Amino acid sequence: MAISAATKAATDALAVNRAPVSVGAQEVHRWMQSFTWDFEKNRTKYSTKYKMANDTKEQFKLIAKEYARMESVKDERQFGSLQDVLTRVDAANRVHPKWNESMKVISNFLEVGEYNAIAATGMLWDSATAPEQKNGYLGQVLDEIRHTNQCGYINYYFAKQGQDAAGHNDARRTRAIGPLWKGMKRVFSDGFISGDAVECSINLQLVGEACFTNPLIVAVTEWASANGDEMTPTVFLSIETDELRHMANGYQTVVSIANDEASSKYLNTDLNNAFWTQQKYFTPVLGMMFEYGSHFKVEPWVKTWNRWVYEDWGGIWIGRLGKYGVQSPASLRDAKKDAYWAHHDLFLIAYALWPTGFFRLTLPTAEEAEWYETNYPGWYDMYGKVYEEWRARGCEDPNSGFLPLQWFIENNHPIYIDRVSQVPFCPSYCKGASNLRVLEYNGKKHSFSDQWGERMWLSEPERYECQNIWEQYEGRELSEVIAEGHGVRSDGKTLISQPHTNKDGKLWTLDDIKKIGCVFADPLKAL
Amino acid sequence: MSIEVSGGIRGLTDPVIAAQILAAIPDKPLETQRKMNYFMTPRGKRINEYEVLCCYTQPTPDWIPGGLDWGDWTQKFHGGRPSWSNESTEMRSSDWLKHRDPAFRWHALYVKDKAEEWRYTDRFLKAYSADGMVRSMDPVWRDEVLGDYLGAFGFSEYGLFNSHSSVVRDCLGDTLRMSSAMIGLDKVDNAQMIQMERTFLAKLVPGFPESTDIPKNEWTKGTIFKGSREIVQKIWQETYDWNEILFSGHMIYDPLFGQFVRREFFSRLSSYYGDTLTPFFINQMQLYFSQTKGITTDMFHTCLAADVQFGTYNKRLMHVWADKWMPGTITALKDFMAIFAKLPEIKGVTDKSAIESALNRVFDDWKHDFADPIGYKVDTATLIKTVLSGLK
Ligand SMILES: [Fe+2]
Ligand SMILES: [Fe+2]
Repeated sequence: MAISAATKAATDALAVNRAPVSVGAQEVHRWMQSFTWDFEKNRTKYSTKYKMANDTKEQFKLIAKEYARMESVKDERQFGSLQDVLTRVDAANRVHPKWNESMKVISNFLEVGEYNAIAATGMLWDSATAPEQKNGYLGQVLDEIRHTNQCGYINYYFAKQGQDAAGHNDARRTRAIGPLWKGMKRVFSDGFISGDAVECSINLQLVGEACFTNPLIVAVTEWASANGDEMTPTVFLSIETDELRHMANGYQTVVSIANDEASSKYLNTDLNNAFWTQQKYFTPVLGMMFEYGSHFKVEPWVKTWNRWVYEDWGGIWIGRLGKYGVQSPASLRDAKKDAYWAHHDLFLIAYALWPTGFFRLTLPTAEEAEWYETNYPGWYDMYGKVYEEWRARGCEDPNSGFLPLQWFIENNHPIYIDRVSQVPFCPSYCKGASNLRVLEYNGKKHSFSDQWGERMWLSEPERYECQNIWEQYEGRELSEVIAEGHGVRSDGKTLISQPHTNKDGKLWTLDDIKKIGCVFADPLKAL
Repeated sequence: MSIEVSGGIRGLTDPVIAAQILAAIPDKPLETQRKMNYFMTPRGKRINEYEVLCCYTQPTPDWIPGGLDWGDWTQKFHGGRPSWSNESTEMRSSDWLKHRDPAFRWHALYVKDKAEEWRYTDRFLKAYSADGMVRSMDPVWRDEVLGDYLGAFGFSEYGLFNSHSSVVRDCLGDTLRMSSAMIGLDKVDNAQMIQMERTFLAKLVPGFPESTDIPKNEWTKGTIFKGSREIVQKIWQETYDWNEILFSGHMIYDPLFGQFVRREFFSRLSSYYGDTLTPFFINQMQLYFSQTKGITTDMFHTCLAADVQFGTYNKRLMHVWADKWMPGTITALKDFMAIFAKLPEIKGVTDKSAIESALNRVFDDWKHDFADPIGYKVDTATLIKTVLSGLK
């Protein structure tokens, strides 16, 4: 090019006017869209049946350095609170013991979602063609690393400072023993990263983040705070400040494919599958964590669910996408029914399987039973009675020789696992909508608990063949399985998991379990 | 009182609730092992905070070496391809979770550093402009070299940045994934800093074109960056093995081509042309280069080449990859030599012997830091001769 014609004039001008000038992030960002170039093999490595537009914009307009500045300001605030005032007031030892246990699970399982979201958004960064959109996903990649580290920080903090470190200190190893883990992986791990890139975006952003982040990350802070936990709100609300950008990424992804006529053929099916996938796990698990994992209650889960999932997401958020042909998922109505009883059904099973956890569970107290009955009329006849029976048989006492799992066996209530969601269910003793369907494929039996999962299976069984814990543990004795999964405390014999949080209660050991002689059996074999 | 609390009542501060909570808490902690991840093998003497917050966050099944989880994936790609699998790379490891960023940077430490760099950049630019330093810059250097060719080099950085997306998706370990995202972000930061410098110059020098049009034209159609463009495209879009992407980009192309362009061309020459602005940005890029080098040499040398079970095989594979990616890198450098004909000549600085010395520094460093540790034999003199044949 020619040398700037005005060089001399510029030099002269600078001699008298030397105003300090800098460059803002947006002045750089406005050139982002031109950073890419066309070449023959410029295409994504992850196939998608959708077509993402080349000119998709991104509204937050961050550059790398500005991103870092913004996040480090938030970090200073958050880690400052944790390390300073919360430590000085010994906040970790002012958390209700039940909630201390719930955070072992909540923080670690959220960490899994955050971790897999790194890989998921890596894939979306690859599949987006517009540099601004790639940049938006890159920001999210980094955010999800942040969130992974933040979730880890909660367990780290509770382990270092709190009342019961076991489980907080080794969740990443012991989480794999119990019945909640595989379902967790379906929604928060594989569901985000394995499949059509846009389908994964729908799972992660349109449903995971836009729908379940509010109950998961925001509502949880209210429950935490009510139960004395100020660490979780400090960290989770800081996580939440990044989520707005992630939801916007999801929104932009839909906008980027909306121009392609073919997309309408798949979009609503993918959305329906994603919604069902996510809700199938989160509806019962979150409800269970909140209501059964706390002493002080904020509001019945069904109310939270209706507000955030049904009205806010199903109505407003999806409504906003209506102009792009997005419809409210057909499975939303079935999910709404599940939001009432599913978490009660799940806790019954989770408590029965307490030795496989990495946390202590607690039977509902009389006060709580009253609260449940008030908010969920009919609760006592179905669940309350059973808990009373278990308590009377000494389920909390290591000398009793009684595991609630025996009650299911004695009463011929087999617990199956839904192949597609990996969520356990007991079709003969539940108030939720689960009913047993069994299909044979590749010489193996597969159980299902609802029509939506069954449909996913029928169209693509090769995606959901994962063995379940019954198949994995079949024929093995319970204490052996726990020991192999490192489910014991540092004394080498006391279990991390316990069936109570009573401070004067005796703690169960591996020997107490061994004496009972509980051997895993796959109920599908008996069919 | 009721167990239902609302209206933002907090258990920590509400005296009635706080008393109930305290009464329920065990008199002494139930567990004495308070170290998170106590079961893991630390890189140093003790498990550090980075290892606590990053290691084993990935749910890795035990059939991916190093993993603690078991069983299959709960959802797979259409057709049944697994979420993550050993087949995603030709490299073999006995522990895919072994890698550590030598600087032990988890997210908060990484962004803290970059935030400081940003604040300092902002202050520096203000001081630079207030001081009128741009007046000393040689106009040919400024308008042609910085305007066109530095701008064009930004595309090399941007392409390398994008090569990390599939690595972040596919790689087999948590620390690998976090490191790959961070060194990827540094690359887009480089591309953005280049545009930032050009925008800044446009603000100071009336007539200096801020647009990316000319540099992009140079990058896509010009001859100086032809070889560079071709190899970047290959790394970015034709390579599927995530280790090969990292190896070709960070162990071959960037430490040779990138180092020559940044350190030996822009940084070394700028002061001769009265440019004290470009080194400010290049120095940040060089900081990122050295941090990245720490990361990728840990991946390839400390972990893969030294793997007790697969080290020998891995080194052989690295030799194969080096053979594969070397010629394109040499071509890129050779094409780049034509840039010297565009410069106002300065004796002892831009002539052939000075260029040869610069190439020697780059190739010697590369041989010492990248080739020798894996026993890769390389005749640098011949390579340099080939590169120099590109001088016009
Ligand atoms: Fe997140
Ligand atoms: Fe997110």
